[in-house]
Amino acid sequence: MGATDEEYLSPNRDTNTPSSKAASAEPDSKVDKDEGGVSKRTRSTAPPRGPVSDLKGQNGYAWEDEYQRSWDIVKDDEHGGRSLENIIKTMIENRKKKIMKNPSTPFQRGIIRSLIVIIDGSSAMSEKDLRPTRFSMTLSYLQEFVVEFFDQNPISQLGIILMRNGVSNLVSEVNGSPQYHLDKIRQLKARQHNRYEPKGDPSLQNSLEMARSLLKYNFGNNANDTKNSKEVLIIFGALFTSDPGDIHKTIDNLVKDEIKVKIIGLSAQVAICQELVNRTNHQQKNLGSKNYGVIMNESHFKELWMDCVIPLPITTTESQETKASKGVPLIKMGFPTKIQPVLTSSLSSNDYIIEFPQLSASDPTQGLEDAKQAIEITNNNNGGGGLHSNNVIGYQCPQCKSKVVNLPTLCPVCGLMLILSTHLARSYHHLVPLVPFKEVPVSSKYDSKYCFGCLLKFPRGVKNDGKNRNALETMTSSRYRCYKCSHDFCIDCDVFIHEVLHNCPGCENN
Amino acid sequence: MDAISDRVFTESTTIEASNDDPSLLTVILDISPAGWFRIRDQISIHELAKSLLVFMNAHLSLNNSNQVAFIASSPEGSKFLYPNPNKNYDEVRRHQSISGSHIGDGREDEQAPEFAPTLVNRGMYRQFRVVDEAVLEELNECFKQIAKNIQNEDQKSTLSGALSMALAYTNRMLTLDQSISTTTASAINSTTSVNANAGNSNSNSNSAAGAASNSITSMRSRILIVSANDEDDVKYIPIMNSIFAAQKMKTSIDIAKLGFKDSSYLQQASDATNGIYLHIDDPRGIIQVLTSAFFVEPSIRPFIILPTNSNVNYRASCFITGKSVDVGYVCSVCLCIMSIIPETGKCPACSSIFDDKIIAQLSKGPVVLKKRKLDTNGTTS
Repeated sequence: MGATDEEYLSPNRDTNTPSSKAASAEPDSKVDKDEGGVSKRTRSTAPPRGPVSDLKGQNGYAWEDEYQRSWDIVKDDEHGGRSLENIIKTMIENRKKKIMKNPSTPFQRGIIRSLIVIIDGSSAMSEKDLRPTRFSMTLSYLQEFVVEFFDQNPISQLGIILMRNGVSNLVSEVNGSPQYHLDKIRQLKARQHNRYEPKGDPSLQNSLEMARSLLKYNFGNNANDTKNSKEVLIIFGALFTSDPGDIHKTIDNLVKDEIKVKIIGLSAQVAICQELVNRTNHQQKNLGSKNYGVIMNESHFKELWMDCVIPLPITTTESQETKASKGVPLIKMGFPTKIQPVLTSSLSSNDYIIEFPQLSASDPTQGLEDAKQAIEITNNNNGGGGLHSNNVIGYQCPQCKSKVVNLPTLCPVCGLMLILSTHLARSYHHLVPLVPFKEVPVSSKYDSKYCFGCLLKFPRGVKNDGKNRNALETMTSSRYRCYKCSHDFCIDCDVFIHEVLHNCPGCENN
Repeated sequence: MDAISDRVFTESTTIEASNDDPSLLTVILDISPAGWFRIRDQISIHELAKSLLVFMNAHLSLNNSNQVAFIASSPEGSKFLYPNPNKNYDEVRRHQSISGSHIGDGREDEQAPEFAPTLVNRGMYRQFRVVDEAVLEELNECFKQIAKNIQNEDQKSTLSGALSMALAYTNRMLTLDQSISTTTASAINSTTSVNANAGNSNSNSNSAAGAASNSITSMRSRILIVSANDEDDVKYIPIMNSIFAAQKMKTSIDIAKLGFKDSSYLQQASDATNGIYLHIDDPRGIIQVLTSAFFVEPSIRPFIILPTNSNVNYRASCFITGKSVDVGYVCSVCLCIMSIIPETGKCPACSSIFDDKIIAQLSKGPVVLKKRKLDTNGTTS
């Protein structure tokens, strides 16, 4: 970290600072994917940095930011009231634009991912620069991340490791169920002030070795090996690592196993982390990488988290490798049928229904809970009809007929990957991303009066005479046009369409 | 004992609180002519529109700040019939009162709407009248459009587009940002206030704005799709994307399917979003179905058993043969599903070449190993 001190002080944001922000301004030569940092995210070509700027974080690091007085932002011009309105609107839109991510051109991506999240639980995490502490903020973002991760990557798996007091603790096993992870995180959260209070030194080596073994254990010895994108994400608060052995050997092993490491640093850049990231992602040395980000403020922290949700594109070198040696893998999957989980048999009279518990092959303990009551007898007398209160849905593996409750999963008996077609459909939008909408330039007259998606009324055009040039500079047209169907949308819809919906209402109607 | 009485008390209060939430009902009517032509003996689209209007009015009457939207989806494209920011309904009413002699007598007019200048009774409750009038008028416009282009062979369903629009509108209603509502208020209100030249309509817009600002607190929403389209020509990926978006927004998608066939996509849509799917065989009494089965407010959905069919076929269909797949193969690049390994060794969708080794491994049949032979021989053969 020592070597880079100078660069941190330099005010020019476009030098090759090690942080992700600068790296993203100059996209990597290998993967030219425009997953930009803050600076790239403002979508207009010439961001209005003058009179109207955002209140927070526009200038990168929070501590480099000038102190901004909110009343300075408001500037008077000829039309008192209207311009204020416009300024506020522009501010809101600028903020939304920043949140908005630029979708990219289609890439081949590693859709089936197994990711190990390593969170730092060393004493550095009890710092209070993130409120309430670094650790609790990390945990709450982790929860959001888990939800988002499984929403976007339904056929992927996740595991969580905590590095604390020189050793690595397993928080949650590699598993495909978000609820399982959320429960584990909640447990950890509840104990963060006594049993799992941040303590001691972190050990990158220990936790990386553990992550490696987890990834190997789950996918090491079968044919799945080639199809999974194996990733490690480290949230690193400390500025050092105390390891029992040679961490470079661990890095060599990670490279050999094709495990990619991403790191989010909470305080400053650490040289060993940089090396770790560069080597596992096959990047040149001493090159800033977007896989290693150091947070600038809380919102940037969250941004970096959420960048990890999108599946990694397969780099050109990798794809060349696969093309040269062999083709892309084909995966065998099972599409199971839904089954009634409860066998019912009526007694002599129709008044009672006996429900026999059935065990799920993947999660026998759930069946056992039912089994405690051995046989459930439901009284059918009081108008209940034949409706079962039990709404657990079961699925049957088409290959070996074993029953599972949760999908997607690997069949615990025959190892077939079991999914629903909807799980695949969830990943489609990564493969076929929607083209970004372009902002309509400010003019005196517009064709569209209303947002095509939500019927919001657009502001009318402003005449471009000499008088209110000042107003024009701060104005936006508030229209974002899909150039495929040339319909205009408001900024809310633009964000919604690209972040949630993933298809353009205008194009769908043609 | 204390515990029991305690719980009962708190439960009743929470239910009460959640019931007060206003809700948005978006009706999507698929008016593609082929489907309606097929069931012309059972129901005409006019009768259905009548029932839908009653249904929407009933929804509006439940809560003062309830909202409705109506989208027509036709091969020509989807269109918002209500709210329609281009038309001002108050103006229409003034026009009616001038030509006051021509007041239609309510619902009879709808069967011959083309000839009647007023489609709904002028004396109707304002909220109802505005919606009904807008929907009927616009619906007639749509029919004219369709009739013009009926020869066009290339008729594709635009249901995905209608769903996308409905979700975008729902998104705005759910997360309406109060800070910008002053400048870009909801389109209905702003149009009424822009065109306000009479004091009467001004006050109306004020009350509407008041209702809207109330509804910001916590809006719930659901979407009802009425379709008689038996063709399964909907675009798969956009429909699925819309379903997932609805899932995320906790918006239920209810389906009233007329016609002869079940639509598996629509079934999936309702099942994934905790909605109701009903295939209505005999649509003559559809108003009863609408006001019973489809009248379940989103706030009480957790407490009742929905009249829906949970046996939804989520089976994937093969890209090559079109049949449903039990055990299939998935291309790791484009996730296309195949029931057989293509002979060319290429993906039919993205034409990337598959790994020979893996194909060999997958297409290898079961081999009985001889006893006591070396394993290496067995696997390589």
